[in-house]
Amino acid sequence: MPYLLIVDDDEDFASTTATVLRKEGYDVQVELDIESAVKSMESKPPDLAILDVMFPENASAGFELARSMRHKSGKLKNIPILMLTAINTKFPLGFGPKDIDESWMPVTEFLEKPVDFDVLREKVAKLLSSNSADD
Amino acid sequence: MASEESIQPAVYELPLRQELPVDAEIKGSEISLSESLLMRNALWFCRVRWLVIATLVCYGVLGQFRRSIDYFEIRSPGTWPFVMAGILTLFNLVFLFLARARTFPSKIIFNLWGQIIVDLVILTGVVYFIGSLETNIAFTYLFHIVLSCVFFSRRQSLIVTIMAIVMFAACIAAEYVLKILPSMSIFNESFHEQNHSPVLATLTVNFFFAIGIWLVVWYLASHLSWMVRRRDFELTETNLRLVAAQEERARHMLATTHQLKAPFAAIYSNAQLLLQGYCGDIPDEALQVIQRITSRSRRLTTEIQEMLQLANLSSTSQQSLPQSRIVSTDLLLWCKSQVDPIARERGVTFKVNVRPVAMVGTEDHFKMLFVNLLSNAVIYSHRNGHVHICCYKGPDSEPVVTIADNGIGIQPDKLPHIFEEHYRTNEAVQHNKESSGLGLAIVKNVAELYGIRIRVESRFGSGTKFELKFPAPNGSPGDNMKGETKCPIS
Repeated sequence: MPYLLIVDDDEDFASTTATVLRKEGYDVQVELDIESAVKSMESKPPDLAILDVMFPENASAGFELARSMRHKSGKLKNIPILMLTAINTKFPLGFGPKDIDESWMPVTEFLEKPVDFDVLREKVAKLLSSNSADD
Repeated sequence: MASEESIQPAVYELPLRQELPVDAEIKGSEISLSESLLMRNALWFCRVRWLVIATLVCYGVLGQFRRSIDYFEIRSPGTWPFVMAGILTLFNLVFLFLARARTFPSKIIFNLWGQIIVDLVILTGVVYFIGSLETNIAFTYLFHIVLSCVFFSRRQSLIVTIMAIVMFAACIAAEYVLKILPSMSIFNESFHEQNHSPVLATLTVNFFFAIGIWLVVWYLASHLSWMVRRRDFELTETNLRLVAAQEERARHMLATTHQLKAPFAAIYSNAQLLLQGYCGDIPDEALQVIQRITSRSRRLTTEIQEMLQLANLSSTSQQSLPQSRIVSTDLLLWCKSQVDPIARERGVTFKVNVRPVAMVGTEDHFKMLFVNLLSNAVIYSHRNGHVHICCYKGPDSEPVVTIADNGIGIQPDKLPHIFEEHYRTNEAVQHNKESSGLGLAIVKNVAELYGIRIRVESRFGSGTKFELKFPAPNGSPGDNMKGETKCPIS
């Protein structure tokens, strides 16, 4: 059973997303802050990480977590990342230049909130299958 | 358990909003030029010095032809012009080497000071040989005084002026008062020879007259230079403030978008849970209510996004944005993919005829522009309609994009209003209730930002065509017509 990790400070949104994905047969864990997410990933690396971008203490925390997964961590390096955020326009709404640089922001997919569950289910299935094909 | 007293309280004092120091009265006068500008000035001084050296050599050479100088009743200068030119050449080569080698990049100011001191010493020698009080040569000190006012702070330029005065005074004193140097003049008969005892009072008046003029020139030049620098300083500060305000506004927009959209995303998700039966069976009437909640929260989210995009575009200047080269095929196909789900829902099909043409701008703005135009074309098409996307190079190499639909069309008298914020024709409202009326206002703002010319052609009841002419990327009209193609008019 694929293991998914949702990292989002919006508990309502995260729990509804988790409900939908659990119903699809995935093992889903929700973390509401970056520190807990890092600990959770290190103890049990997920097959797919679904990350929000803006967190209360840091408006780019999601991007930073994605970068540290790709560049600093060996075992988290190849995990597909689905960015799920209420911001759909990266520029010029205020992210730093590094955040909008595609080579620096190693996100596999970008989805805008609110998301249709059909689109979410399709995207998650696609990311998991392409990752297993890569393996 | 530690008592309350044993825990050191953490203290934080909210700083006042940081104002940039605009004490230009003080700062402006002391601001020095940037290092690169000083470097350019040092090199420029060296180039100008070659002209002075050439003039000295010419004078020396001319002095060798007695006939020519006798005509002007000028004495043969002998070798001193060559000696002065030689010394100046040596120093100039050293200064040039130091400026170009950048062995001491932060010490360029010393190079400039070295040049000024050497120049003043050499100039004093030239003034002595030409005739310190018999000619107006002493006014050549003014060049250095004025230049120092331009390049240095007021205090430093005063030091240069005082140095010039001291050297000139030393020359006069050695020549006329202490008489340790023989009197020199370029003229065959100087007034020394005519009047063996020059009137000290005349010399003193001439001397102080010259010094007085230098000081007045220094005061005027340094004051003007200070005013220009203060203005420059104020403009720089204002510019910094504007950039900071722009960044702050962008951050604020980002936070506002997030804060407004996130709750609706949560409402929408929860409503979907109910609708899709994740929480058990729900009566049909309740389902309809939930359907309306879902629909309105989705619409509100879009409106929030559009309002913020519009506000952001209205206050953005093109100069502040990073520009990149965008290929029309990638851009238009990406925008089409964003609209595909709505098109499938309405049975609308796309006909794409896009040639690769380069555009220059901020990609996200162009995406906003085309997603809005394409979604309008799809939404206001009839069921099973067609939307034709076409892109080609115009006669002046400008990228041209047309988006044509065979939808409801717009009445001629309403066409001039369609780019107004929140304007929607009655026909459009009847056809599609879920629209904010901001899409074309966003299109208008992007077009204004990039100088895109938009032409709308519509037949009421038959369809609408938007033609967008972008500025040519590098202004080379007519150099390439290979991408040209024809697009049908709906």
